This record gives sequence, C-alpha cells and structure tokens, in this order.
Amino acid sequence: MKRLSEERTKLVFEKLTKYLGDNLKVLIDRPDGTYCFRERKDRVYYVSEKILSLASTVGSDHLVSLGTCFGKFTKSGKFRLHITALNYLAPHAQYKIWVKPSAEQQFLYGHHIAKSGLGRITENTPQYQGIVVFSMNDLPLGFGVTSKSTADCKHADPMSTICFHQADIGEYIRSEDTLL
Amino acid sequence: MDVVNAILEKNVNSNKSISVHKDLELEIDEGTLLASDYNVFDKENLRSSQDTYLKNLTRDNVQVLINKIWMLQTERVDEAIVGILPKPVFVLPRARSVPKPKPLTKWQQFAKEKGITSKKKNKSKVTWDEELEKWIPKYGYKKAKADEQKEWLVEVNDPTKFTNGEDPFTASKTAKREKQAKNELQRLRNLAKAKNVKLPRVGIPSTEHFRDARQLAAATTIARASTASVGKFQSRLPKEKDAKDIASHVPGIKKKRKEAPLSVVQEKQRNKKLAESILRSKSTILHVDAPVPSTKSAKSSNSGGKKKSSKKEGKGAKKPKGGKGKRDLRSKVGGRKRR
Amino acid sequence: MGRKAKFDGTVVSTGPGRKAKKQSDPTFPKGLIEKTSGPLSRHQKQRAKKRLLKKNQNEKLREPKAKKSKVSKEVVKREKIQSSADENEEEEDADETPVEETSEEEEQDNEEVEQNQSLGLKSGPADSDDADSSEEEEENEDQDDSDDDGDDDNLLPIEKANKRLKKKQEKERKLAEDEMKDIATHQDIFTFPTEEELANPTSLKDVQQRIRDVIMVLSDFKTLRDKDRPRVDYMELLKADLCTYFSYNTFLMEKLMQIFPLSELLEYLEASEVQRPMTLRTNTLKTRRRDLAQALINRGVNLDPIGKWTKIGLVVYSSQVPMGATPEYLAGHYILQGASSLLPVMALDPKENERILDMCAAPGGKASHIAALMKNTGVLFANDINQDRIKAVIGNFHRLGIVNSVICSYDGRKISSAIKGFDRVLLDAPCTGTGVVAKDPGVKTNKDEVDVQRCCTLQRELLLAAIDCVNARSKTGGTIVYSTCSILPEENEWIVDYALKKRDVKVVPTGLEFGAEGFTNYRQHRFHPSLKLTRRFYPHVHNMDGFFVAKLKKFSNIIPKKDTQKDEEEEEEEEEEKEKDSE
Repeated sequence: MKRLSEERTKLVFEKLTKYLGDNLKVLIDRPDGTYCFRERKDRVYYVSEKILSLASTVGSDHLVSLGTCFGKFTKSGKFRLHITALNYLAPHAQYKIWVKPSAEQQFLYGHHIAKSGLGRITENTPQYQGIVVFSMNDLPLGFGVTSKSTADCKHADPMSTICFHQADIGEYIRSEDTLL
Repeated sequence: MDVVNAILEKNVNSNKSISVHKDLELEIDEGTLLASDYNVFDKENLRSSQDTYLKNLTRDNVQVLINKIWMLQTERVDEAIVGILPKPVFVLPRARSVPKPKPLTKWQQFAKEKGITSKKKNKSKVTWDEELEKWIPKYGYKKAKADEQKEWLVEVNDPTKFTNGEDPFTASKTAKREKQAKNELQRLRNLAKAKNVKLPRVGIPSTEHFRDARQLAAATTIARASTASVGKFQSRLPKEKDAKDIASHVPGIKKKRKEAPLSVVQEKQRNKKLAESILRSKSTILHVDAPVPSTKSAKSSNSGGKKKSSKKEGKGAKKPKGGKGKRDLRSKVGGRKRR
Repeated sequence: MGRKAKFDGTVVSTGPGRKAKKQSDPTFPKGLIEKTSGPLSRHQKQRAKKRLLKKNQNEKLREPKAKKSKVSKEVVKREKIQSSADENEEEEDADETPVEETSEEEEQDNEEVEQNQSLGLKSGPADSDDADSSEEEEENEDQDDSDDDGDDDNLLPIEKANKRLKKKQEKERKLAEDEMKDIATHQDIFTFPTEEELANPTSLKDVQQRIRDVIMVLSDFKTLRDKDRPRVDYMELLKADLCTYFSYNTFLMEKLMQIFPLSELLEYLEASEVQRPMTLRTNTLKTRRRDLAQALINRGVNLDPIGKWTKIGLVVYSSQVPMGATPEYLAGHYILQGASSLLPVMALDPKENERILDMCAAPGGKASHIAALMKNTGVLFANDINQDRIKAVIGNFHRLGIVNSVICSYDGRKISSAIKGFDRVLLDAPCTGTGVVAKDPGVKTNKDEVDVQRCCTLQRELLLAAIDCVNARSKTGGTIVYSTCSILPEENEWIVDYALKKRDVKVVPTGLEFGAEGFTNYRQHRFHPSLKLTRRFYPHVHNMDGFFVAKLKKFSNIIPKKDTQKDEEEEEEEEEEKEKDSE
C-alpha cells in the first residue's frame, strides 16, 4: 500500500472528472471521515483512513484488497477505471444515459449502445463525454463515452452508436479473474 | 542318462498342442511380427499365480503368432527356410517428434523462386588433376595440400593476375580470408532471418529498435551522459528531460530526493488542490466543446446556424488572464520564482 | 424444484422418497372382485334401506309367516357376510401389511365362505377351518336371533335385522382382529437372507424392501427377530444394504447410524438425495426485499420469502432466466446463498461500528451478509487461505457495494499474530461436508477416518486462533461463532468442547429460534452440558443443508497455560479415544 504520487493522482483525478465533473470534490472531501487513494500493484484503492490504519498491520504479501478498487494503471502508464468504481460513479455522475430494457442485455455483453436502445439522455451532453449508463428502472449498468452529443442523437440513424462501451457490470462474470 | 531322461520327461509333459483357443482372435501384424491380445485377463489366476499365468498366456500367444508365420509364403535360402513378411500394417509410434524442415537460406529461397536446380546430386567429390595425375578432392585439407604442391612457384609480374608490387601469396591469403568472412556473414544473416531477429543495417541504429518512446528517451539520456564530463556540457533542447527509470544506473543525473510521507491531512489538502486545478482546466475545455456545431447539423442548417455558432464562440471566448495563461501549470507546481 | 421449503420449523412431510417407488396394488382375478367401493354415502345408505324395506314387505306379502323369518334371515346373512368381507378387505388395504400373500389367502377364504353360503351348500369336510367356524357362528347367531325375537317383538323386522347385523359385524371384527394379531405375531415377516443371497446382489428394489423389513424388525426386535440371529447381524445387514442403496461408503454410514436413531436415519438419507431449493439473500445495502422480489417477478422468477425467521431471504422455485446473470444480480441486489448460510451470521449478530473477522470467507456470502448488517460501517476483515477462491470474495464484495472491508489471505491459524482485538469472529470452518451431500455426492464415498481426523485437527487450531483474535473486553461483542456444514459430532461438539477446555470461553445461546439441540452425550463422549445451547440443522427436519452453529463468548483474554506434559497426555488420551472410535 503506498500513496499515489502527484502525477498518478492527477491521472486518476483527470479520469474521474470525465464522469463526475465537479462532484469529484465530494469524493475527496467527505463529511463522514477522511478517505484516501492508495496504490497497490498498480491498482488504485479508495478507502477510509480508519480502515487503512487497521489494515496497516496486514503484511503486504497477504493483503489482497481493501475498500473499493477504482481501477488500475496500465503498462503504458495510463489510468483505466474498472467497473468496481461504479459504486461511486453512479450516484455522483454528471451525465447519464438510460437504456431501454431491450438493449440492456446487449450492453451487459459488452456492446456499444445504439440509438435504438437509447431510453433517455441527460440534456446537453457534449460529444465524447464520460457518462454512466442506467437501466430504465435506475439500475446502474456501467459507464462509457458518448459518441454523439444530445443534439446529434435526435437526428442520428437508429443503428448508429450513441455511446461507446467502456465497462459494464457483466464484467463481474465475464472477467472475474482479470478484473481485480 | 538320468538327466537326459528327466529332460525328456519334462518335454513330454510340456508339449502342448499348437492350436490355441482364444475368445477374441488376436490381431496379428506379420510385417512387424506383432500380436496384440485384447482378451480380458483372468483376474483370479492373475492374482493367485501371476508368473505361471503370464508365462502360459505368452506361450499361447506366441504360438498363435508362429502359426500365422508358418502360413506365410516361404522360400529356401542356403539350407534355411525363410518366410517372406508382408508390409507392416501397424504403425509404430515415434519416440520423438518429426523434425521440422530447416529454414531455407537466402540463396535456397532465391533458387526455389527462380526454379534453379542444382545438379549436385550426381557430382563426384573428387576430380582428376592432370598436373599431379591424381584424384584430388574438391575441398578439404587434401585439396589445400594439392594446391600448395601445384602453386609452389608463382610468377610475380603477371599483369593478368596481380597488381604490381603485391606479394601474390599474401594477396591470395587475404582473398581467401575475405571469402571466409563473407561466407560467415551470410551464414549469420541466414540464421538471423530464420530466427526472425532484426539486424541493424549498416550505420546508425534505426528507429526500429526503439519500439517505445521511453526506450528512446533512455537511449538519448545514456548517450548524453556518455562523455568524459558525464554530459555536463551537452546542450539540451528546451524542456528536455532525462529519462526517469534509469536515473539510478546513469551517472550524472540528478536524483530526486524522496518526499517525506505526507500526513493524511496534508494529502487531502494536496488532493483538493489538484482536483481544483484539474476542474479549472477542464471547464475551459468543456466550454470549447459546447459551441462547436456538429457535422450533421452544419450540413442541414445554412449560414444562419454558422452565425449562431460564431456568436457563441464570441461569448465563450477566453478572458484575458494577465499573463497567467501562459504559465505551464504542469511543469511547475509552486516553488521559488526565478528572476 | 425439490420439495416446498418450510423453514419455520414445521416438520416437512416425508412421504416415500424419490427412489422409493410404491409397490403397486395386488391384482386379483376378475371372478373374485366384488363391486363395492368404499363406505356408502348417506344417500346410498338411505336408498339401500328403502330397498330392503320394500323387499321385506313384498316377501311378507308373498310368503307364509313361518318361512318368513328364515328367508329374511338368509337375506340378511348374505348381506352381513358380504359386508364383513368387504370390511376385511378395507382394513387390510389401510394397514398395508408388508406381506401380501397372507391377506390374499384370507380374502380367498372369505370368498369361499361367501360362495358356500350364498349357494346354500353345507360345507364338506374338505372345507377350510374358517368356513367351519363361520358355520358355527351362524348357528350361534340363530340362537341369538331367536332370543332377540322373544325380547323385542314390538320391533319392526328391519330393526331386528339391523340389530342382528350389528352383532354379527362386531363378532366378525373381533375375529378379524384376532387373526391380524396372529399374523403379526406368528407369521415370520422377514427371514434373514442367506449368504448366497447376500453374495449375489439383487435389484435395488429388493434391497430397498429389505432395508424396510430390517428396520421394522429392529424397531420391534423382541417379537420379530430370528431367534438365532443377534442384533449385530441385523445392524450389519442394514448397514451394507444402506451403503449399496444410497451408495455411501461404510465408514460414513456407520457414523450416520451412530448419530441418528433408525427411525430418522432413512428420512435423513432420503432427504440428502434431494437438492435443497435455490435461495438468495437480499443485499440490504442496495435494495429492499420487496423491491427485489417485485423486480425478479417481473423477470419471470417464481419466488417466496424463506420463512418468518429472516427478512432478507428468498427462495426460488422456478425461473425463466439464469439467476446468476440477471441485471439485478450483476448490480449486486442479491447473492445466491444457501438458507443455512444465513444462520451463522444471524447467530453472530454483528453491530455497527465493530471490528469483525471472517476467518474462512470465500466465496464471501457470509462475509457480505455481515457487512450488510454492519451497514458498511466499522471494519470487516475477510480472510481466506486460498488465493484463487479469494478472488471470488473480491468480486462479490465489489458487486455488492461493500466498502468497509479488508480482504487478506492468511493461514487462519496464524492470523492472530497479525491482527487481534476483534469484537466478533465468524469461523465457518472447512469440514468434510457431510451435511451437504446433496450438493456434492462425492462426499458419500471419498471421506474416511483420516479425512475426518485431519479436519478435526485443523478445526481445533482454527477455533483456538479465532478465540485468540477476539478481544474479551470489547463492550459490544467478544463473541465467536463456530459453524460447519458437517453433521458429525467429531467436527462440531467435540471441537467446541475442546475449545472450552483450552480457553476462557463459554457457550451462549445462538439466538436462533429453531434447530435441534447439540449433543451432550455421543457414544462414549460426555461433552460439557452447555453444548445443549448449540444448534444443529438437518435436511429432513428443517429442509436446509445439514449445518451446525455454536456461539461462544470469551470472558478473559488470558490464555490458560498448562504444563506441556499434561497437554501431551491429554492429546494422547484423545488419540486413544479416536482409536476406540474407529474400532
């Protein structure tokens, strides 16, 4: 368990702002105690300071995970969010997409969202904006990036992609071993 | 006599019939003299008297095999009867894997493409030497010795063979050495090609070696430090930095001191600052994005749309920042001002 | 989908098991079958009465007085005998006597009698005893009838007939009962199979029949036994038969026969063949049970609450979608978990802001339950030695939205050296899994003495380590819950008893409303009386996997040190005990 260096913190924050926008501050400055970002084996964990101090007695060989895993640094030095971060992304997301029940399954298999599957979208979402994907009954399903702005969506072809898939909760089954 | 009698008696007892009954017929391949018995073992016998049971079983099976052999066509060769075995049917398993074909050399490949076939096959390894009146091998120490014998005397001033003033013996030696070197080079090249190793072209190492920007950075850093003064007087490009990972291996690079571990509160402060700075920079980017008209709407709408967009652009233009905008926030975080 | 779940403690009805095919009813030749079906309904009786009355009146009109009584008697007799025969039949059907032949014979006898009488023939010497006796009865009755006639002349003939009929019926019944008793006592129901029969295994059906017979013999051994055979022989035969029929190995079957009385054994074995219904636990961190149930019903899942004892469990009867891949599952609204897995956590009773340890957490079902009860406050340490299985814990925790966890992979026996001072510890110890035979039938055959001993040793060490991790001075807790999915007392009561001797702990009530009490006496062992407070769960009684839960409270942090020699002696003693066991 080590602290994130400044560069790495920046990378993480930049990635998070894509989805959270100003709500990033909510994660850093929490009313219910201090929360920290910690790095272990290139994975970034978000954990309460209380738990962190208790876990410090656990040997590094034996510690497997703590708190919530947000994502990992790739070999090329970029930060990639994992689906496990959805717990924090979903409630604070700035822009959201709701998908129809028919397209739900498609998205959960790792496909992009086509116009035909689009249920609702946050007003004035720009292009290439990080968004969180919900089902119509407000179940967070994953996150991605818009390929078209809200305005463009109206005129788009029903088969054209609205949102690029990045992560979905189907990964808990599909890539259980590699995810964490 | 007793001994003989005893043996005879034994033989009498042990003589068994040549016809053997089997539940399942044996599968016999005469070509390899192989008989395979698929009958189930009699477990009780096998357990109680293993040796005798196996011995008897083997005898029976061998008997069957031999019966089969006697049914083959036979002929007489020097007082001995010889059976002619048919071609084996049973495929014997290989102990080792089939060797892979050797990779072709460059020449072989070329020859294959062009359809050049060498007639080496029926060439003999020796040639008749008229001078020595001997069969001389084409290569090897005997050939070298023969050459020595033949060329024990060379004419110096032979304009067709040698340039003036050159020692003909050294010349031939160097020529040979060069030939060998060339051959060796070609051999190595062929090897490299077969193993798919990238060889440097002659001259400066190519960019193909640096698959990664970081590798290139490392190479330049090392190259810069590889002077007598450890790269102190080497000029740098503006904003050029040393490679990070190799700082401990290369002399002369300034090593950063490790920061003292932050307390949790400090860390939080730092994170807050960072987040704010990111958000600030982010907001401008987002702003730029918003007014840009999409391709489709631009096509569909005429000049009016454009006007609208230009208006927005004007509205969202950056405010003058009093020189602050030029500062690179990423390179310097706090610190002393330089005058 | 299995049997209906009744987790609220009510006894599940245990009919014949899946394998126990009911023997079909005996078939009779057509000529013997009488057309009577069951007791007459009220209307039918009334109609019959009327008919009889009419007939009698007609006869009265037609015939002279002297003959009248005789004829009427005959008619009545016919009726009587017929009815009594019917009754016999009914009784026999209801009793389901195991030996069909005797009943058949009897029936035939009755039939004969009937025929004889209906034809008005006098029974010859070749007739059976039964026939004779009935003849005698007849005569007796004739006398009785005449007496009755004298007594109540003022009665209507039909009433008289009725009275006579009743009397006759009574007698018949008595006779039948006596006969039944005779059959029960004298007739040998089960003959011990010869060695040849044992050597040549017959069909499974026969084996099953034999099992039932032997159990019946053993249940009333004095009367039904074969005089030459000791009880041991019967037990051995039963064991061998059960082993073949349910495909257990001898060791495990022996253990089971020691745990259960014979009456329960068969029920247990049959219940163990059937899979328990699929159950799931609502993740209260993300949703409520009602909402979840609604969402799942919309997806075409047929489900119900497990029972009154839990507010978060649901049982799934059938489902059109895979339950492990619905969007609700992926979003972490529930986790698939056996009903029995809820129990240890309920016994642990975690509170908010506590430090809790789950020593053998994988795959994280119980640990996530704990976290849900803690409402994501405090700290939950989930430990498991197996690096591969702990990946499932990580996945489940993230899916279920648990943020207060630390997941580590220590050897449970050494964890107290790294972390201590927990308020509560859950030890769901690795075991032989004899309680979950339905899930993993391999257990039936591949466990033996050595496996059990190995498990025992590990469980002892783990439990001591778990106790050492707990802080006795904790204000809220200081409790340890020990649970296994095994039903062997060696892995349960014995382990807890051992811990009671070694550490300053006491057994406290688990807080579970149902479940069988733990053993205090088991064969030669005499456990601490407080072990009554532990709970055992059985598939045939509670309709969940076999399970054991014990709750311990630590009352001092001191580890009592005994002389090492003494310890060793004790160990030796235990070893001896074990050896005895195995003998």
